[in-house]
Amino acid sequence: MFQSIVMTGLGGQGIITLANLISEYASENGLKVSLFNAKGMAQRGGRVTSEIRLSDDPELDFGARISAGKADILIGMEIGETINSLSFLKEGGAVILLNYAYIPTTMVLKKEPYPSFEQLTELYSGKTKELFAVKEPKHPYNMFLLGVFTAVAPAIDAGLSFYSKQSVEEGIAKKLKRGLEENLQTFNGGYAYGQSLLQHV
Amino acid sequence: MKRSIIGNQAVAYGALAAGVDVASGYPGTPSSEALTELLHFSQNNNPSPYVEWSVNEKVAFEIATGAAWAGKRALVTMKMSGANVAADSILSVAYSGTKGGLVLYIADDPGVEAGMPEQDTRLFAQWAGLPVLEPADPGRVYELTRYAFELSEKCELPVILRSVTSVAHAKQEVEGEYTYKPLGRKPEFEKNIFRYTKAGSAICIAQHEALLDRLAVVERTVRDTGINMMVESGDRNGLFLVAAGALIPYVREALSSWDHQNLSTLFLESVYPLDKELAGKMFEAAETILVLEELEPFVEMQLRSEASRLGWNGSILGKLDGLLPRVGKYSQEVIGRGLKTLASGMAGHSAATSRPVVSSERSDPGNEESAAEQPVAAELSVKHPITFCAGCPHRGTFLAVNRALKKIGLNQDNTVVTGDIGCTILGMNPPFHTCWTEVSMGSSIGLAQGFYWAGIENPVIATIGDSTFFHAGIPPLVNAVQHGANLLVIILDNGWTSMTGFQVNPGTSEQFQAKGARRVDIEGIVRGMGVENLQVIGPFDQEQSIEAIIKALQQEGVKVIISQAECALTVARREKRTLIYQIDSQKCTFCRSCLRETGCPALYVTANGKKSKHGQVMAIDPQACTGCGLCYTCCKFDAIHEQKLGG
Repeated sequence: MFQSIVMTGLGGQGIITLANLISEYASENGLKVSLFNAKGMAQRGGRVTSEIRLSDDPELDFGARISAGKADILIGMEIGETINSLSFLKEGGAVILLNYAYIPTTMVLKKEPYPSFEQLTELYSGKTKELFAVKEPKHPYNMFLLGVFTAVAPAIDAGLSFYSKQSVEEGIAKKLKRGLEENLQTFNGGYAYGQSLLQHV
Repeated sequence: MKRSIIGNQAVAYGALAAGVDVASGYPGTPSSEALTELLHFSQNNNPSPYVEWSVNEKVAFEIATGAAWAGKRALVTMKMSGANVAADSILSVAYSGTKGGLVLYIADDPGVEAGMPEQDTRLFAQWAGLPVLEPADPGRVYELTRYAFELSEKCELPVILRSVTSVAHAKQEVEGEYTYKPLGRKPEFEKNIFRYTKAGSAICIAQHEALLDRLAVVERTVRDTGINMMVESGDRNGLFLVAAGALIPYVREALSSWDHQNLSTLFLESVYPLDKELAGKMFEAAETILVLEELEPFVEMQLRSEASRLGWNGSILGKLDGLLPRVGKYSQEVIGRGLKTLASGMAGHSAATSRPVVSSERSDPGNEESAAEQPVAAELSVKHPITFCAGCPHRGTFLAVNRALKKIGLNQDNTVVTGDIGCTILGMNPPFHTCWTEVSMGSSIGLAQGFYWAGIENPVIATIGDSTFFHAGIPPLVNAVQHGANLLVIILDNGWTSMTGFQVNPGTSEQFQAKGARRVDIEGIVRGMGVENLQVIGPFDQEQSIEAIIKALQQEGVKVIISQAECALTVARREKRTLIYQIDSQKCTFCRSCLRETGCPALYVTANGKKSKHGQVMAIDPQACTGCGLCYTCCKFDAIHEQKLGG
């Protein structure tokens, strides 16, 4: 099993925390893991991308960065940035799309149209059938998405079955001390949402 | 033991394992976390090395050099642009060499993920005459940092440890000791003017010769370590693949989907000076060589020059023949293009080849990629311009500049405002559009003088952050005072080096300075230079700030305004908010002045409007608002009000 996961969105959405949880958890399960966070402008509302690569073969050689067309899974946390990340996804790869838009000031002022969630899902459905549209997410989005990811990951690749509800919950409890209850609640909401999505795929 | 760490942290732990005594640096993405980690270690462990964020890279390098000349081990860290700042001393110290291990960690940024030029430090190293190690991944960073100190001492030369963003920020498991092993050396500095001064041509000529001799020692020393690895396929097709540094794991990744048993490889992590013996061995067996390296054709040029010297008449595929780009980070597509050309080029190159060359039957990375490169729906593509954080004091300063200019009949399109490196340059972005230029650390003040002496009629304003002012803004301000340029310099003093991750600088408040360190006062420095027209403002007080700027613009000579308020992010990490602002949806007319003028990311549009004709109103995210009140100064309808936070 060798999976390349790209996450994309904006600073402040908690992408780095989500990427850390997903990769640390894989690492604890004995996988060879690489994580790259491109977060230079995170604090200033800029684009943030995390690249995770997981392999159950400790001898497999791979670099930290994921090239165009090489992502097995793409998790898009903001509509505009997810549109910009289309080329990452390999043909037929799995994609988890979050219905959240942050419209830049200039576009608000000029009343320019911002791409909709429907346009986003349409764009991606041209490239893959394995599409999980998270239309009604709950805050905090990163925890909700962790729930969705945990629910759908084993269906994307059996090698990802170690992401189980109970074990990821334990992982969250170990890593996050602040607002644990709220985070777990949102995670569970995301997990249930992810399971409902699986029934439709 | 194993830990998941990024490449920059691996530099820190490699240096600790090597017993580094002194470490210095100046923050710069993507290099900063190396010294941050060492500083953290030194504040929490005893014994520990001496670690400091220096005022600039040149000073940092000189501190490390002094320690190394006294026989201690020293590390200095910086981004590639920082090497330019330190260049004067680096080139001179290369002539003198070193006694204790002296390692320069410099991080490059192919693909420009952090800003600034795609400068290739390897060319800089060649210019200075210093050896370069280029680790492939965080684990190798740890190993080669340790080794760099040994190499430096053995060859008596500073060693450049060069990494790139993809290695510096990659988090992987690294086997290491994670402890500090001080060597306990007694500092001894030998008085030797022939080695440690440049006084006289005989001395310099001798030092130049010594430098070349030392480089020859480097070549032999590294050869015995196996850092550069050649694996011959045993096939007589003469196909060689050479890959350098950070590209090695990506090349291995690409090869895993190729049938490549008949391909010979040479993986280089010591790229300067070129191991000519190893190259010669390759030329004996090679007919076609593909060189894979990011940015400049550095290894390729050395190989071509050695090939020419040896009279080798095979072919080298790389950048100089136009096959591969000199710009940007290499993707699997680019690597695949190289491999394909190596395979097909060879087929036509030699009729003597009896066996099939590299075959791509299993899968073809090149084709796989092109299928993926379908046109992104360009019409849907959007950009999120980066802006000042909610509560950033710089927002207040640029707002005041724009408002002051407007008040005296000028605007940001007819008044030159030079910008500088760091968060303050975001004044070039919407909605401010205030800054016109960004060149290098401190250059705002020098450029502004040029515009003035060129005869630009409207007043010229230079804007610069506090850390940037300390780093390289002081000499150009001295120059302006001496020559009497008519100029307003605004120092945006938020007390931290924020853009790179909130490092301390000389102006940081006393309470956050390291033990034994003290604060240096910008106001005192500026007064000491003889600047008479000096005002200190608080950027959230718009009336006072606008008045101060107008007053300064009406005065002759050098004027300085220090705009002082702490970085909103460092405040937020430390203190609870006591008040925020909220918008009354009953009063908001959706004129959007607040958003148009401040561009604050805490402002958003919501659909709860009753009075507004659009059915929409502005709102403030209560989680993001810091209570700075700048939006309040924009509202003509009294719709924005304070809200006290309990607790």
